[in-house]
Amino acid sequence: MTDPRIERLAGLLADYSLELREGNVLRIDSLDAGSPLVLALYGAALRVGALPYTNVSLSGLGEILFQYGSDEQLTYLSPIQWEEIEQLDALATIWSETNTRALSRVDSTRHAAYIAAQRKLSNRRWERISNGEMGWCGTLYPTNAHAQEAEMSLAEYEDFVYAACHVHEEDPAAHWRAVSSELKARAAELGAVRELRILGPDTDVRLGVEGRSWLAADGRYNLPDGEVFTSPLETETEGEIRYTFPAVYHGREVEDVRLRFEGGHVVAAEAVRGDDYLQSLLDMDAGSRVLGEVAFGLNYEIDRFTRNILFDEKIGGTMHLALGSGFPQSGGQNTSGLHWDMICDLRREGEVYADGELIWKNGQFLAEPALEVVESGQGQGLPSG
Amino acid sequence: MSSNRLERLADVLVGYCTRVRTGDLVCVDTGPAAASLVEAVWRRVLEAGGHPHLRLDVDGAPDLLLRDGTDEQLTWVSPVRRSEVERADVRIAIYADVNTRANGGVDPERQARLERSHDPIRRTHLARVGSGDLRGVVTLYPTQAAAQDADMSLPEYEDFVFRAGLLDHEDPRGEWEALGRAYGRLAGQLGQSAELRIVGEGTDLTLGVEGRTWVPSDGRENFPDGEVFTGPIETSVDGTISFTYPSSFAGRRISGVQLEFRGGEVVRSDAVEGEAFLRQMLALDEGARRAGEFAFGLNEAVTEFTGHTLFDEKIGGTVHLALGASYPETGGQVQSALHWDLVCDLRNGSEVYADGELVYRDGRFLNGVV
Repeated sequence: MTDPRIERLAGLLADYSLELREGNVLRIDSLDAGSPLVLALYGAALRVGALPYTNVSLSGLGEILFQYGSDEQLTYLSPIQWEEIEQLDALATIWSETNTRALSRVDSTRHAAYIAAQRKLSNRRWERISNGEMGWCGTLYPTNAHAQEAEMSLAEYEDFVYAACHVHEEDPAAHWRAVSSELKARAAELGAVRELRILGPDTDVRLGVEGRSWLAADGRYNLPDGEVFTSPLETETEGEIRYTFPAVYHGREVEDVRLRFEGGHVVAAEAVRGDDYLQSLLDMDAGSRVLGEVAFGLNYEIDRFTRNILFDEKIGGTMHLALGSGFPQSGGQNTSGLHWDMICDLRREGEVYADGELIWKNGQFLAEPALEVVESGQGQGLPSG
Repeated sequence: MSSNRLERLADVLVGYCTRVRTGDLVCVDTGPAAASLVEAVWRRVLEAGGHPHLRLDVDGAPDLLLRDGTDEQLTWVSPVRRSEVERADVRIAIYADVNTRANGGVDPERQARLERSHDPIRRTHLARVGSGDLRGVVTLYPTQAAAQDADMSLPEYEDFVFRAGLLDHEDPRGEWEALGRAYGRLAGQLGQSAELRIVGEGTDLTLGVEGRTWVPSDGRENFPDGEVFTGPIETSVDGTISFTYPSSFAGRRISGVQLEFRGGEVVRSDAVEGEAFLRQMLALDEGARRAGEFAFGLNEAVTEFTGHTLFDEKIGGTVHLALGASYPETGGQVQSALHWDLVCDLRNGSEVYADGELVYRDGRFLNGVV
């Protein structure tokens, strides 16, 4: 029998995240391991009158491309792919790996070349997403490989994933609508802040955020979701930060990263493990030493590190500060080929000051956001409950 | 299938059937069950300098669409399908059904609407194949479902599929090339005939074929292969034909089909099983009542009926007639969203006359050309 949580996740994607309407062309991207969710989403899309089709790949073909493909084949983008992007009203990405480390041994230069080529496509995709021409949401279908990364059994991991998405409840959309109101209110309050100071173990860093917009990640682009984020001022970050969780980029881990910022730039960096990789990423381009994002993780169903950024960056009580490209919609100006989310656990010892006032301690904001700010400012009602 | 067999099949598909060259965009169209064959094909395509592109239908999605889709959804053709058929240099389609009867309960009229809506795609495909712009092959990856239709275990069915492709020979490519030459000679002889008459049990049918091209089918477009085919003159088919084998089309089984043609058109149709579906398909469009293809099955390694047209129509000693669309390269002009092959076994006491002369008896050409 089908897990009812899969059906609810599909319904949430179709109705809440993507807001599918009659006649919308939806492409569902996944690996074959994600088929149960692909099929459920396909059915949910049919029910609202949308025009869904599946774009499913097979685990294993990526490795073959790296092993047998010439540089030219590795970086090839077909006219079919280019034409396809222009036709979509909505895109769902279902991550569903059967081996998260399958590309670990691939030559890093070739890997970088592949990613750079794919980025041309994803840039055009993001252009259409940010113009409002198409919707996108990324989610995950639990597999043993992801469970293994998280050091859980598949059953435990399924419980973890579905609770984080709130599809263990009857009406997950109601939950996410309430979360959306709360996060938007929080974002509006943070929008008035000029400077943030983050204090934690081996961490004392100041970031300028004046004039930048904070955005609520409320389940439209990711499921699960639950963060507020912005892009800090590019030249103002000062101080030191220690990332307690391993920092993962394209499947490679760097452990115990410490960074020192001066005038917005990383001027010193070290890691206990993976230091070479850290240094090579910092040297990627002109923007890779500058923060592109600062964010509060606020999904308290996510209570542990699982080596997957979709979940880790939302762990309730953490902050993440990403090196590399910023968000234009926040006012961010940093451009880079890198966007590397690194997570700082502030749940045990951690304080955040906004313009000198303590607003966050041990992983919690000290005050509820004033929801009326949202109501008057953005015309949204109070959440129920 | 064992990896050795997969490699041999992939080698023939990429190196012989579709002759993938540097820079070719190669669209592989299949289901998840064929994953291991897709991997082998991927390696060969990359080695040949091509760019592999995957189109994979998730098992169950097409069935949901047929069952639950609105009219708009049912007749919608995804723009990517159009891009693929227009852009690909090579298409490798691999049947890999996990349930060949999943659509058994679907209203045939809905199936017909779906087929009609995809007709433009099919026409583009046929035209590009006909002009040589697109090299396309259709093959099958043995699944439990296909084995079940053949009344075989999966290992038995794998053996059957492997042998049907002559992959058990030292040099399968060489075998197919040699067969291709023999088929070519036969096609040349048949091309000199103006009229064929097929006589067998429940069958007495004449077809005009004057000026039409017979195409030797040597494993380039179907794999396995083994037939020569043409498109009969559209108004020339007269008489009755009984089809020996049950036929599967769009997940339905039809058996005991007998058709009567007059002036090239089906004027009477009977079936023991699936008659309503047969009538629905005959009414699909203008061309669905006409014979778009007539062919001799010549593959001696395929001797028994297994319930899949890819193999059944190749059985050495059979002929098949397709209702619906012609292949443009034969000179045939029937246009239709339908192309439905029905197979007639001629191995027992049947005869074929070419312009009045007996040329074929009990499943064999008398001049020994094949």
